[in-house]
This record gives sequence, structure tokens and C-alpha cells, in this order.
Amino acid sequence: MISCTCIVQAGQVSAEVEATLRTNLSAFAERAFGEPAEINWRAIPERGGFTAAKPSTSSIISMTANKPIAQPERADLLKEMCELWVRETHRSLDEVVGVISDPQT
Amino acid sequence: MPLYLCNTVKGAISDAAKPKIAADITRIHCAVTGAPAQFVHAFFVEEDAAPPLDGKSAVLFGSIRGGRTDAQKAQIVSEMLQSIQTHAGLDREDVGMLTTDVPASWAFEGGEVMPEPGEEAEWLARHQRPTAAE
Repeated sequence: MISCTCIVQAGQVSAEVEATLRTNLSAFAERAFGEPAEINWRAIPERGGFTAAKPSTSSIISMTANKPIAQPERADLLKEMCELWVRETHRSLDEVVGVISDPQT
Repeated sequence: MPLYLCNTVKGAISDAAKPKIAADITRIHCAVTGAPAQFVHAFFVEEDAAPPLDGKSAVLFGSIRGGRTDAQKAQIVSEMLQSIQTHAGLDREDVGMLTTDVPASWAFEGGEVMPEPGEEAEWLARHQRPTAAE
């Protein structure tokens, strides 16, 4: 399983959209890395998230690959992963941070 | 990126203190690194699994872009710990902080991959904008 952590602001992603994102992120991991994702969904409590010192609308998606990835491939995957998120949440690309890490050595 | 995630025991940091600490975190990170404020995230959780509290009342975990010097990281840790102590009214030994380096090329924000150290100029020109925190 590919480890994937999603950090969102509480109340900003509906249960329905969360379910779709879980499905789509797992499918993305399967396409990219040949394994589905195990999603760790973490909601930041209201009044607990700040970006630029103001109430945050940002989400963080962090996935750990099962193999080292060359940078051109990683850039394409990061873009695809973040656009997948934006498509479902109707947020802007400025409100999503994507990270795809190499496996820990 | 950076992401500063603060885990606490229940009630250790009041809702009134959180925006003050978040403002300090943003100001300190930007002053030390020159990063634009709009990319500084400070999130607060309680009784969460991560970062582990290990007996502390509050632990701040910073995921920051690789390439910062040890001196920069030491300054960030020192000043952010002081901010939490001041605004939350906690003793020094009740607060912990760790940082981890994340290679810039692993992160995507503002619609593009983050720049490597030494390659920030064009990227900053595209993303720098004045905010209240700067």
C-alpha cells in the first residue's frame, strides 16, 4: 500500500467529496506506483489552521512512493495529483500543497 | 510548504493564542528564510498521534524546504519555542520542537514545483506579494 496523508480544514470537504477523493487518490497511486493508497485523513479543527497567518483554506496531500522517482516524472505526478484534488473540491491550485516523497532509505 | 504542525494536550493552547503563535511562526519563517508568507502553513491539533507529544504539553513539527542551514534552523526553533511559551503560558520544558528537511523538488505549491535552493529568484518574483504577516 502507498501511504497517503491528506490534511484538510474541518468542514471544508464534505463526506461525499472525501469519499470520492479517497477513491481517486487510491486509483492515482495504483496507476503511478502499482499499488493502491492507504489514506490517512486528518482534519484540522476550526480556528486551528492558518496560512500566511490568516484562517487557512489550504489542503496538504502527501504521498510516499514505493520507488525513487526521476524529477520529470515526479513533476508530472504532482501536477496530476493536485489537479485531481482541485477538480473534486473546486478549490484553486493555490490552496493545495502536494508532496510526493521517495521511500525512506 | 513549509508546514508547521503543532500537537498539544487538550487545552494547552487557547483559541486566542493560536493566531498569535501562527503570526509569529509566519513572521519568523519569512524573516529567517526569505520565503513568501502565503506559503507558510501553521496548523494546530490536539491529542493527535503526530507529532508525538512524548510527555510534553505541546510539540511543533516543521516540515521545511531542504537547504536551510543549521544556523537558520536553530534560529527558527529557538524563536518559535519562545513564541509558544509566551502565548500559551507554558514552561520551556513543556514545549518541544523538531524540523525535517523536505527536498524542494518533492513539493508542488502555487501551481508549480517548488524551487531548489539558489534557484528562487524567478519563483519569488512570481509568488511574492505583500501580506499583513510580512
